[in-house]
Amino acid sequence: MANLATFFWGWLLASLLLGLGTGWIAVVHRGPGVSKTLSRWLALLAAGLVAVALARVVPGRFGYWLDLFLIMFALYLCGCAVGSWLRDWVVSRSTPAG
Amino acid sequence: MHGLFRWSSKWWPGVIPLLILCIIAAWTSTPTVEADLAARSNAALKDTVLDKRRIAVDGRDVTFAADAFSEDGRLSAVASVETVPGVRRVNDETRLVPEAKPFVWSAERDVVRVTLSGSSPLPSSKGKLVEAARANLGGVEVVDQMSLARGAPPRFDNVALLLLDQIGKLKDGKITLTDSKVSLAGMARDLGGREAILAALKNLPEGYTVAANDIKAPPYVFQAYKDPVAVTVTLTGYVPDNNVHAALAAAAGRKFFSEKVVDNLKASIGAPQGFANAVVPALGALSRLSTGTLVVSDREVKLSGDAFYDAAANQIRASLGKDFPQVWQYKADISVKPASAPVDATVCQQLLAELLSRGTIRFESGKTDIAPDSAGLLDRLIETAMRCPTSNIEIAGHTDTDGDEAANQALSEKRAQAVTDYLVKAGLPADRFTPVGYGSTQPVAGNETEEGKAQNRRIDFVVK
Repeated sequence: MANLATFFWGWLLASLLLGLGTGWIAVVHRGPGVSKTLSRWLALLAAGLVAVALARVVPGRFGYWLDLFLIMFALYLCGCAVGSWLRDWVVSRSTPAG
Repeated sequence: MHGLFRWSSKWWPGVIPLLILCIIAAWTSTPTVEADLAARSNAALKDTVLDKRRIAVDGRDVTFAADAFSEDGRLSAVASVETVPGVRRVNDETRLVPEAKPFVWSAERDVVRVTLSGSSPLPSSKGKLVEAARANLGGVEVVDQMSLARGAPPRFDNVALLLLDQIGKLKDGKITLTDSKVSLAGMARDLGGREAILAALKNLPEGYTVAANDIKAPPYVFQAYKDPVAVTVTLTGYVPDNNVHAALAAAAGRKFFSEKVVDNLKASIGAPQGFANAVVPALGALSRLSTGTLVVSDREVKLSGDAFYDAAANQIRASLGKDFPQVWQYKADISVKPASAPVDATVCQQLLAELLSRGTIRFESGKTDIAPDSAGLLDRLIETAMRCPTSNIEIAGHTDTDGDEAANQALSEKRAQAVTDYLVKAGLPADRFTPVGYGSTQPVAGNETEEGKAQNRRIDFVVK
């Protein structure tokens, strides 16, 4: 898989940046969040998809697309986490000063 | 950590652009990834010997179909594709090349092409055989109809190459290798080709046998033509060796007493057994014809032509095959030459004297049996005697001075009697001939030399 990354490193980077941006905004976002129940179901769905991908049960192009989606999604989540953490760090540093 | 959970509930808005990104990424990268995996899978199989290899990539899944030549080879080929980086799954559609039982390989030659068919164990040996066929048989089209199969006998390549060599010696025919048995059929290109192929087959590796050898050689032809106008006998065709050649030339010289022998014979191997034993008597029969052709083709003798008179034709027909070796076949197509015009006694005497000046009636040494070589001369004498039916003829026997005078006298009488008997047997009336023995009393040459003695040992025909 590592050498396949050469074909879509741009897309991986884009999803990472998208995650960073979303995470950055999420800290100060006032809109509605995903409910706890729904997020559990979503986590379960994600885990299910990962399991399916690892078991390699989806054949052909769909299997490849599933892998691609999961990797981009994982990088997106990483980006979100880092973005949120950075924003939180920036906010918590600037609040006492302000 | 608690914060991360709280923030994560607000991460969903990015998922929509992410999905769009995913779709575009999948759309654009799929063909490139598939092409790359196909290229690298093929590269991984570069040194593996497989037949009908087919690689199809769907996403990151490789469908790999091929015919392998051994189970180990098959497994290692599948493993090489599985270890190509990036390959997710391998759909293994490989199988073993079918096993041929019995393993049959053949090479067939006709006028313009050589067809290689049957089974070959590996693509490399297949290529090697086609190459060798092209090299051996320059200018002949080589058609490759070989398929690949397992189960070849050991050292197949060497044997097939040896057999291809033999195909070069055939004009047309087929060589088939069935497991370790070789069968051959067809026609050799040259006289002796059959023998050359047999000799080469002795080099077959151990365990191989020749099951059937039906190679035929071109017919071994010997021909003799007696031409009464040119007064020649022309010998053409083949003789086994120089000894037989000399013997045949000598026999022809004795039998054709007045004709010039034109010798165009060539020595070649491949003669049928008993060649000389059949050809010498057949030449004797030809010498009794006024005009005729003798064709000896393998073991078949054909004699055609005109005899001088009826009884001679019957004798020739009856005696032709008598001295031939067994299994020889013969056919005599003898007609009788039209009778020549009658002549008076003087001309008759001239004709007889002329014949006897060119040849001598020979006898077995010291005996009264007429030598078979003289049959031709006697036929001519008889024919001449028939042209003067009213003349009476004295058959005069003469000897040289060697030995006892009384014995010579007796021998000359008996020999004159033997010739008379011969003439009577040929159908001439006995009362026309008077056998007389003169012993050595009427020499025509000196008895001091062998040559003179030979001239004195004679039978004369004197028209009374």
